[in-house]
Amino acid sequence: MALDLTGRKYKDVPYEEKERLFQEIKKDIRFEDVLYGCYECGICVAACPSARFYDFSPRVITQAVAREDTDLVYTLMNDSIWDCSQCFSCDRCPRQNSPGGLITVMREVAVRNGLQTAREALEGYGRIIYKIMSTGTQVSPDMLQPEAFPDWGPHVHEISENLELWRRALPPETLHTTESSWAIDDKTLIELYLIWHMTGVMDMIKEVDEGLFMILQDVMEERLEEAGYEEKFE
Amino acid sequence: MSDREEIRGCVILKNLYYLVDDHTWLTVNDDATVTVGMTDVAQNMAGAILHAKAKKVGTFREKGKPLATVESSKWVGPLKSPVSGEIIEINEEIIRDAQAINRSPYKNGWIIKLKPSKLDEELKDMLTGDAAVQAYRERIEKEDLKACRHVEGFEC
Repeated sequence: MALDLTGRKYKDVPYEEKERLFQEIKKDIRFEDVLYGCYECGICVAACPSARFYDFSPRVITQAVAREDTDLVYTLMNDSIWDCSQCFSCDRCPRQNSPGGLITVMREVAVRNGLQTAREALEGYGRIIYKIMSTGTQVSPDMLQPEAFPDWGPHVHEISENLELWRRALPPETLHTTESSWAIDDKTLIELYLIWHMTGVMDMIKEVDEGLFMILQDVMEERLEEAGYEEKFE
Repeated sequence: MSDREEIRGCVILKNLYYLVDDHTWLTVNDDATVTVGMTDVAQNMAGAILHAKAKKVGTFREKGKPLATVESSKWVGPLKSPVSGEIIEINEEIIRDAQAINRSPYKNGWIIKLKPSKLDEELKDMLTGDAAVQAYRERIEKEDLKACRHVEGFEC
């Protein structure tokens, strides 16, 4: 097994594979804008909400990449990078580093390469990804279920049972929805699906969750075809 | 011999055909059509199901392609077609009230009926009877799947 900082286990791979993944991170077009050099002032850690609650440090990640510590970078890709909340509070770095931005790049490499730990980290987000990619809105009111969010207060049961009625009580008509956060225009959806198609984001989804890929493919291809587009997500 | 088996509280009916990997079941009807649904294990993993959206009647689906999308409060996934065929009927009850899948995964919670195109060939990949129970037992133990919790009014 590789160096394991937290007790969580993941597959070790030959050094050449770690090097290949590291080079993929460095080749990313954003790389030169997120890492300049670090003198360990710790401002990013002080500002980081995840560092307060987890054994997580944006500085460790920045340092590991800056030092080109290929083994440690691989360890972090299987571990710490998934503890970041991507709030970018760390962007106050006096050297203009963006540990959060660096983590974005590392996560994308992990997903594109189908790392098992990336699959596990994203497993619980399937429905959110489905929502945001199929509707463009992230959290839908019908997620408010006692089983899923018991911590959303004593009225969660009552609200979830009469959700449609509660939503109709909101003044703007565009909020009278339960399956999406608000009503979405057809034109917006088509544009969104074409963006997913152009950017290749569906290829990344396919690497980590084939079932999710299949249903998104169905929804998008059907809608695009109705609107006269021939794009396919194969 | 019992016609059903319980593994960690999850019910497996021995008279149905199963694709254990996809958590789907199938039964062959008298008119040579097939009825397809999600297993008890699957409904338990999904939790309270909120929506089930099926493909349109008349759609032809190859084996392994999605017949329906099932959404619970935090999970979403496809019901993959266990055999190739044309969708001939959708269970209106689960469209209206998707929790019928939680209450009755093998009866009122069936999802779709298909007119299969190569049933004899594809049925060979499915398991039934004790073989299905054994395969499900192995999967549940290997993946340490949680014990089935059944909602009020559960039937099978």
